[in-house]
Amino acid sequence: MRLILFDLLDEKRYHFDPLALNRPIWELRCGITSLREKLVAAAGTADVACFVPPYMADFYREQVDLPVNDASQLTGDDLLLVHPRLKAHKVGDLAEGPSRVVADAEGRTVAVRIERADLEKLDAGSVEALLDSARAQLPKGDPAPPSWNYTWDLILENPAQIARDFQALGRSGVEGTIEEPKAVRGGPADVYVAPGARIHPMVVLDASGGPIYIDEEAEVLPFTRVEGPCYLGRRSMLLGANCREGNSIGPMCRVGGEVEESIIQGYSNKYHDGFLGHAYVGRWVNLGAFTSNSDLKNDYTNVSIALDGKRPIDTGSTKIGALIGDHTKTSIGTLFNTGTYAGAMALISATGKPLPKFIPSFAWFLEGVVTKGFGRKKLYETAQAAMGRRQCEWTAAEEALWEAVFQMTRPQRDPLIKIGRRMLAAQRM
Amino acid sequence: MDRSEVEQRVVKVTCKVLGVDPEMVEPESHFVFDLGAESTQSIELVAAFEEEFGIEMDEDAALAVDTVGGAVDFIGALVE
Repeated sequence: MRLILFDLLDEKRYHFDPLALNRPIWELRCGITSLREKLVAAAGTADVACFVPPYMADFYREQVDLPVNDASQLTGDDLLLVHPRLKAHKVGDLAEGPSRVVADAEGRTVAVRIERADLEKLDAGSVEALLDSARAQLPKGDPAPPSWNYTWDLILENPAQIARDFQALGRSGVEGTIEEPKAVRGGPADVYVAPGARIHPMVVLDASGGPIYIDEEAEVLPFTRVEGPCYLGRRSMLLGANCREGNSIGPMCRVGGEVEESIIQGYSNKYHDGFLGHAYVGRWVNLGAFTSNSDLKNDYTNVSIALDGKRPIDTGSTKIGALIGDHTKTSIGTLFNTGTYAGAMALISATGKPLPKFIPSFAWFLEGVVTKGFGRKKLYETAQAAMGRRQCEWTAAEEALWEAVFQMTRPQRDPLIKIGRRMLAAQRM
Repeated sequence: MDRSEVEQRVVKVTCKVLGVDPEMVEPESHFVFDLGAESTQSIELVAAFEEEFGIEMDEDAALAVDTVGGAVDFIGALVE
């Protein structure tokens, strides 16, 4: 059987922005691993191909060793097409049995099982055609399975998912080093320190509330307190951090200050003090000293987020912080309001008070307003410099992807730039 | 709009944004070296010119303009 992951442009894809602007949804992290890693493990096959929005295909090909947008993968074997919104624990049920189409509660297709014999009667010319013909010709199967609907679903599920992933990975004990004096709370089976990982003296690992997984070559510096469930990714560092429960920190991050129930995709820095709670932070983000986000409203009502900058969506939770896209940088002292959307490739300068709840991608947020700033080319130069510091290359395909994102996000940004101009003019009067 | 009107309005905006007196502003005045524009003020200047003239300026091209006379030429071409 071949697993076909599909993430196509549709009217709800923006539910995962700004993180999904430049990556397939299945690359988002929840728990210890990405959604893709969970889906592939659950499907139990190494034969995997994927279909992504065309504007990101060239860049994604550089990132993974998988066939990307290759229609020849749609023939020759039993297929299981899976959308990343489907929760992985349901994939095993779909890997066998007759051909059928599975939709979520809103009727959107999240999986299609196609037996090889049935492929002949379907249109396998493209993944879109295959999905359309499957919906038209195959029976509906399985009641609506649980699915991810928004980025904040991943944040809210993260603590429990870390615990499940920890159990699934089946690792525990210390293969790296923990220097004395050490303080480890909880059972020895609840902590895993991978080879090459180093826990400095005077670090507290409190696994009494959930497991702690410190991945290879990660480093935890003195006076850090790590509360499980927690995942610290490869070569990431905690610097005197108050790392409270429910954090997943991807590879190559530098994290200090207080962090709670947050996901950091990887390669991002929050080096200094400041609070990050119930947030999802993309890659190559730099949060300046004392950058903080609120994750709880003073009236304890549900947090809402306007993912398109216009219509607030009730998250259903009283605790959600900020969603911060890749390559966004904040100045010292930035204060994010509860439920803030900070787009990708934005440069944000503090104002001394909580910022607007929607800051579009590619915004130069200065003097309290959205401006064009020095333009996107300057942002690309900065991205290139940041990536070079971690021996990562900025490629032509990546720039082309961001150019597409720049155009896609214009409708959100341009009106705010015009408002910003008027506000700046009014300030000068 | 004729060039003199463009120039007059460019000088007015420059004085407002950078807080300088009109007599300091000559066509050859460099925004940074002569008029003391800091980086964020350069961004404000572009925004202010767009607002004043009701135009959209390509930020890379606009920020490459470094003198008052250059701004008059650049904006003059856009409002023609």
